Amino acid sequence: MDLFDRLKELRDKGLAEIDKAENEEKLNDVRVKLVGRKGELTEILHSMKDVAPEHRREIGQRVNKLRDLFNDKLDDAKTEIVKALVEERLEKEKIDVTLPGRENHIGSEHPINIILDDLEKYFIGMGYQVVQGPEIETDHYCFEMMNLPKDHPARDMQATFYVDPEDLLRSQTSGDQARVLEKHDFSQGPLKMVGPGKVYRRDDDDATHSHQFMQMEGLVIDKNVTMGDLKGTLELLTKHIFGEDRETRLRPSYFPFTEPSVEMDVSCFNCNGKGCAICKYTGWIEVLGAGMVHPNVLENAGVDANVYGGFAFGVGLDRFAILKYGIDDIRDFYTNDVRFLEQFRKEER
Amino acid sequence: MLVSYNWLQDFLKLNQDPKQLGEKITRTGVEVAEVKHPQEGLKKLVIGHIIDCTPIEGTHLNITHVDVGEDEPHQIVCGAPNVAAGENVVVALPGARIADNVKIKKGKLRGYESNGMICGLQEIGFADNLVPEKYTDGIYVFPEDAEIKPGQDAYEPLGMDDYIFDFDITPNRADTLSMEGSAYEVGAIVDEPVKVEDVTLKADGPDWTNDFDVQVDPKLAPKFYLRKVTGVKIADSPLWMQKRLWNAGIRPINNVVDVTNYIMLLTGQPMHTYDARAFKSGKLVVRQANKGEKLVLLNNKDVDLDPNDIVITDGNRVVMMAGVMGGLNSEIEDDTTDVILESAIFDPTLIRKAALRHANRTEASSRYEKGVNWDATMRALDMAALLLRNNAQGTVAEGVIKATDEPRKPVTIKTTASYINKVLGTTISGAEMLHIFDRLNFKAELDGDDLTVNVPARRWDIAIPADLVEEVGRLYGYDNIESTQPVLAETHGGYSKEETVLRRIKKVVQGQGLLEAISYSLTSPDKALAFTKDPKEVVAVQMPLNSSRSTLRQNLLTGLVDAASYNMARKQNQLALYEQGRVYDHEGGTYNEHEHLAALYSGNTYFANWQHEDEKIDFYYVKGQLTNLLLAIGIDLNEVEYKAEMVAGLHPTRTAGIYIKGKYVGLIGMIAHTVTMAEKSLNGAEIYGYELNLDEIIPMIIAPKTVSTPAPKFPAIERDLSILVKEDVTNQEIEDVIKANGGKYLRNLRVIDVYQGTHIDDDKKSLAYNLTFLNEKDTLTDEVVTKAMNAIMADLEDKLSAKIR
Repeated sequence: MDLFDRLKELRDKGLAEIDKAENEEKLNDVRVKLVGRKGELTEILHSMKDVAPEHRREIGQRVNKLRDLFNDKLDDAKTEIVKALVEERLEKEKIDVTLPGRENHIGSEHPINIILDDLEKYFIGMGYQVVQGPEIETDHYCFEMMNLPKDHPARDMQATFYVDPEDLLRSQTSGDQARVLEKHDFSQGPLKMVGPGKVYRRDDDDATHSHQFMQMEGLVIDKNVTMGDLKGTLELLTKHIFGEDRETRLRPSYFPFTEPSVEMDVSCFNCNGKGCAICKYTGWIEVLGAGMVHPNVLENAGVDANVYGGFAFGVGLDRFAILKYGIDDIRDFYTNDVRFLEQFRKEER
Repeated sequence: MLVSYNWLQDFLKLNQDPKQLGEKITRTGVEVAEVKHPQEGLKKLVIGHIIDCTPIEGTHLNITHVDVGEDEPHQIVCGAPNVAAGENVVVALPGARIADNVKIKKGKLRGYESNGMICGLQEIGFADNLVPEKYTDGIYVFPEDAEIKPGQDAYEPLGMDDYIFDFDITPNRADTLSMEGSAYEVGAIVDEPVKVEDVTLKADGPDWTNDFDVQVDPKLAPKFYLRKVTGVKIADSPLWMQKRLWNAGIRPINNVVDVTNYIMLLTGQPMHTYDARAFKSGKLVVRQANKGEKLVLLNNKDVDLDPNDIVITDGNRVVMMAGVMGGLNSEIEDDTTDVILESAIFDPTLIRKAALRHANRTEASSRYEKGVNWDATMRALDMAALLLRNNAQGTVAEGVIKATDEPRKPVTIKTTASYINKVLGTTISGAEMLHIFDRLNFKAELDGDDLTVNVPARRWDIAIPADLVEEVGRLYGYDNIESTQPVLAETHGGYSKEETVLRRIKKVVQGQGLLEAISYSLTSPDKALAFTKDPKEVVAVQMPLNSSRSTLRQNLLTGLVDAASYNMARKQNQLALYEQGRVYDHEGGTYNEHEHLAALYSGNTYFANWQHEDEKIDFYYVKGQLTNLLLAIGIDLNEVEYKAEMVAGLHPTRTAGIYIKGKYVGLIGMIAHTVTMAEKSLNGAEIYGYELNLDEIIPMIIAPKTVSTPAPKFPAIERDLSILVKEDVTNQEIEDVIKANGGKYLRNLRVIDVYQGTHIDDDKKSLAYNLTFLNEKDTLTDEVVTKAMNAIMADLEDKLSAKIR
């Protein structure tokens, strides 16, 4: 049999074997046998020395062509085998993506602190420093410095927990005002602060009263701070919290540490001012107290009331949260029912 | 203070819509909580005259025929005990609406036709406590002086056509606790002149002042005036007065008592009448009570008097708690003829404390404690005497006893128009300000920029220029002040460093899936000190609301355990809560507050799922979370040490103190069985938690900024090490030895297995560690690592008798 015949035979046999190889291992054996260094094609090349010189060139060409053919077919076969393998694996790995995932706890901030954080950020953006004061406060800072001497009737408005004759659980965050006023160096610029924190009053807990709640105090003192500035500041604040479309009104009120004193109401967001149970049919909801700092408060802290003046305001954070989220029992804030707390995790802050 | 719109018209011209006027008063002066129109919602209530009244036998009912101004009288069946022929009454005609929107229809009672209903005052909306006593259990009968005729609407005769403003006053505006004061306020608001009547009284009896000895301490009562009226005949007050009283929320009683209440409403001056028989001694002494003295008040309350209470006595016997309430022993009774009228001013603080002390605040005491008009004392006394003559046919004895009569300096305030404008941020002219003071009935003068304002005694709340700023501001109208933003030198807002870190810590914990709780700072004395390694002196409040809220907490875990109990009682057993807040103590004589953070876990790491991969939360899960937290906030874990410790309320063998650089910073552990089994809702649940003192931790992490280093370029080498040790050897001891011998390239050490059980001796345990070595500057050689490993192994064998496996 001449080499031509052998090549033809090898071609048929080789293609059949490639076809037959069912996995990568067998296919590799076939590759070694056909195109390997000691494979059949190589052997044919080696036997060229027995071929007439005029045929050598043609044999050479045919061998190369057949090697290319085998290589192509081997590659194709390999691709096929890999593809089948992947398909088999994919079949095994198939899952029902509609089954639920494994869930665990999602953290969230307490609703009062959501409001507080929001307010703090709002005021920080306007240049206010956030100040913390002690919760066990002295009578001196909580009351006397704030123009509430002993026996002042307004002290009855705030039944206070005393821990001894001179120390108490603060019933208002106003003491922070006095502390900051004493320390502030006005040659370094105006004073702008907010002071948030827990306060305590001797109220029995019920749906609308809590012996512990959160307040935030604000204070701005400089040489030319006006009641118009207070009004503008409070309007922006209430719109920030309760929405741009709220109307506001200022009402005369009374706090010993401010004069004039005002309270701010916003138009009821439930009935839009028409009157409903939430606003007790007045169309308005009281949201905060404020005023121009009383000269006695400034003088008590060693600030010259003839030169400096400004405004102060106080907001009840529990009240803000109650109004904003429609909560009907203040105790919900402090029983920490997880089903209550969870609902606020979607809140912007 | 309930202020009648109709009564206000005695003082000034009003033609505003009452509801709009209420809104205006709220914005300018005093908050009007409500404008009430008593006839609102009522329909077809008319005056009726009972022509005849016949009992229906065997029942308590009567058949009446009532003239209601129609051609024919109405037959009405009435069950009231006081129904009788000749009475003028309120009739609800068929189709009427009475209180609570009840509709009256024609009907039959016991077979008798009844065309309407004869009404009691409660049935048409009166509060129980305002109905004159004799009509509380029956129908209302008009007094004979009432100018009424059958068929006319019943509203006007009863004062129900009025509009009543509920003035919700602040303590500084007690001047509006009278009709005259309210009139001045409303007049200023609507810019209408106010006319307050003076009184001219001519006595018609003999002088009495020499027969009565009165001694008063001017410190207790700086003004104390008395008059005597004799021969009064006790009866009902005229209807015009009764309706003013009940519209002001005061029940009419009789023509003497009503006069004192009426004058108090009119002038704000509390008045009192004594039956003159109470002073048989001919003597009246005002003093502070003696220890042990007692008094039965008009409301039948037995009072043990306090030495700080001011009392009125007959020289011996106490007859009144001054400024608060009279005693039964000097009460006006049906047979009273001679009365002594008192118009006085008492020390406000003593009155306030007495009313508080005896829980007996009254219309009088609340006025005294907030202040009364020093200019009204005499006028009120004379008006009361005059009314007693008019209403009770009394004879006014000649002479007034002024036992004390301290003067009060009138208040004059000097300020400037520019100061007022500067504070308000307005440009109100001086003339405009003068007009505002004129509206207020303050005498004011303007000299260039200088303002001098004389404040009448009825506005004792005004003393300094800032008070005038308020008057000008509110009457100018807060609505008219332009809203501006403060234009100030720039300030940099922000948190303190400490608080910035605190916030970062909270964010990490929240990111770990914990819900934030807020608990009460006040707790029970026991809970205040639970879960606390070194309890300190506690802070307790005086007069706590109850024993479970008496003491300030020294730990936060107690609040979280309370929360767990609350939640588990509601079948919420998957808990991951944290609280950030303060704890309090009284160590070293000072009150101290520390910021803490506590976390509580119970249930499973994952919620129950179909793959059953819901590992139960245990000590090591929580410790892992805590470790992650410490790492995230920048604590070097090599400096953190856990030491087994026993702490009240925590499991004795599953609790560790946490130390950083040798300093105690908190604890971690399982809530003790003694706690979880004692509480029904906790039901022995496994609860774990930790608590950190952030005041210790924050300074440790506040300092350095992160300086970024590139990721290592050279590969690390890992080695595993498995050893067998006695079971009481702790991981900490082993790690200490490994770290001491690991050399400078030992980067990381992890426990990868702990085993105790079959295959090894009972008193032994096997532990496996993974060690990571890394040289950041060069390729690490095997020899270096092997050398370190050999040193570790040798020392483990040596120090802990470990067997290397």
